Amino acid sequence: MAARVAPKPNVLAQSAPMPSPSTRPPAIAVHELGIRYNLRLTRRTTLKDSLPGLVRRDDGVPKHFWALRNVTFRLEHGESLAVIGPNGAGKSTLLLALAGILEPSEGFVETDGRVSTLLTLGAGFESELSGRDNIDLVAAFLGIDHREMAALTPSIIEFADIGQFIDAPVKTYSTGMKARLGFAIATAITPDILLLDEVLGTGDQTFRAKSQTRIRELVGKAKAIVLVTHDLTYVTEFCNRAILIERGTIVREGEPQEIVDLYRTRVEERKLLAEAKARSVASTASA
Amino acid sequence: MLGRQRLIRYLVGADLKRTHADTAFGQLWWVIDPLLQMAVYVVLVQVIFQRKTPDYPLFIFAAILPWKWFSTTLSDATSSVVNRQALIRQVQFPKVVLPVAAITAGTLSFLIGLIALGIVYLFYLDRLSPWVLLIPVIGVVQYVFTLALGILLAAVDTFYRDVQNILRHILRLWFYLSPALYSIGEATAGGNSPVRALLRLNPFGPLFESYRAVIYSETSPDWIGLLVVLLVSLVLLGIALAVFKRVEPAFARIL
Repeated sequence: MAARVAPKPNVLAQSAPMPSPSTRPPAIAVHELGIRYNLRLTRRTTLKDSLPGLVRRDDGVPKHFWALRNVTFRLEHGESLAVIGPNGAGKSTLLLALAGILEPSEGFVETDGRVSTLLTLGAGFESELSGRDNIDLVAAFLGIDHREMAALTPSIIEFADIGQFIDAPVKTYSTGMKARLGFAIATAITPDILLLDEVLGTGDQTFRAKSQTRIRELVGKAKAIVLVTHDLTYVTEFCNRAILIERGTIVREGEPQEIVDLYRTRVEERKLLAEAKARSVASTASA
Repeated sequence: MLGRQRLIRYLVGADLKRTHADTAFGQLWWVIDPLLQMAVYVVLVQVIFQRKTPDYPLFIFAAILPWKWFSTTLSDATSSVVNRQALIRQVQFPKVVLPVAAITAGTLSFLIGLIALGIVYLFYLDRLSPWVLLIPVIGVVQYVFTLALGILLAAVDTFYRDVQNILRHILRLWFYLSPALYSIGEATAGGNSPVRALLRLNPFGPLFESYRAVIYSETSPDWIGLLVVLLVSLVLLGIALAVFKRVEPAFARIL
């Protein structure tokens, strides 16, 4: 696999405990991982917004936000891990870190093998280029060797069911066609480590069934899987381990059923707490 | 970046297809645009200001063509990273290919624009000399300079989008402060040495004078000036690449 960038072990810190040469390294090793966002620079910053911050540092507004902190886990080859937790807990940030898109602010992430893409459908398409040229372009972005991609192209076109439109500019495609082509490209390569953010459902009924089948195939072939989902049935169906994340840290790691039950209880608790708070606010207001 | 030439090539191809794709004349605009721009300046300088430079259209065309190349590619490069933010949050790739591709695409359109120079030459055949064959040499110096500046601005623009807006005005001022519509000799005729120093510090001083020498004056380019610009640009390129590499990990986090 020449020209592929991702598969080399993603060593991001030197403090990694070296595995003894006889044992196979884990598929994923995450140690004390922390991802910090700088709130001053995030999203559409202009000079006007950041000048006061540059001049005056202590205005009470927190400068940083830890999306993940002190996250440690290992995933051996052959395992599949579910990551569950409420919205904004840091699940997607964790996937971004595993994919190497976000660099750890502290700790390290090591992966052994080719990591799947998190590419959502149709991102990176150039509307003036033909479907065929877009396959090449996206593959080049992903760092996939062009000979490998050339071999895969017929099956991508067939799977996406685009027909002779493959040589027409993508701007002439319907939303469904774009989504199908995007899905076909993103899943063309069989990764060693499969990262899934929700289970991809796209297009019409027939294509959705087809895409579910493809995902199941990838799940079957991958050597390690990390699945982020809100659909708790997938957790018990696909995974042999699970972790619950809340506010950027791991609350519990264990058997999928145990973690799902814990998550359900905590969601219930939080709902009751919120209701009680709402009631007390309402009673104070009426008093 | 090495090993990603193919990605750069695809991006350049996409860029060339995208530009002017929605217009009736299409890619022909690469040729029409500089000709119209030349006409505007001829009206301004020769009709309104009544300046009597001989063969003035060719005189300014020698500057308009490279400037159009510089200003468009620099703007494109500056916003190249920000424009790909959706992708940057989903794929890990060396982001430096984005400004490099933007500048390279602009360079190809500059080469197409040379057709327009051929058209202008039809009216001034007596000024055509073998020196024009040196245009690519001067172009290489300009390419390195643009590359250095473009990579640097692409990185800064990711943190402060203001750069895109400020750049437009800086580029306009820069054009007027460069010997494009006039020669260095004309601007410093009164022995005004600060202006002369300023024009000498400006990389587009030697660049424009060299283009004009080979296109208009049928003489050799300003070799020493070009060499200085090249060396400064190479140093700047080294700095730009280092800065870009340093801030690149933050891109996915702030976009």
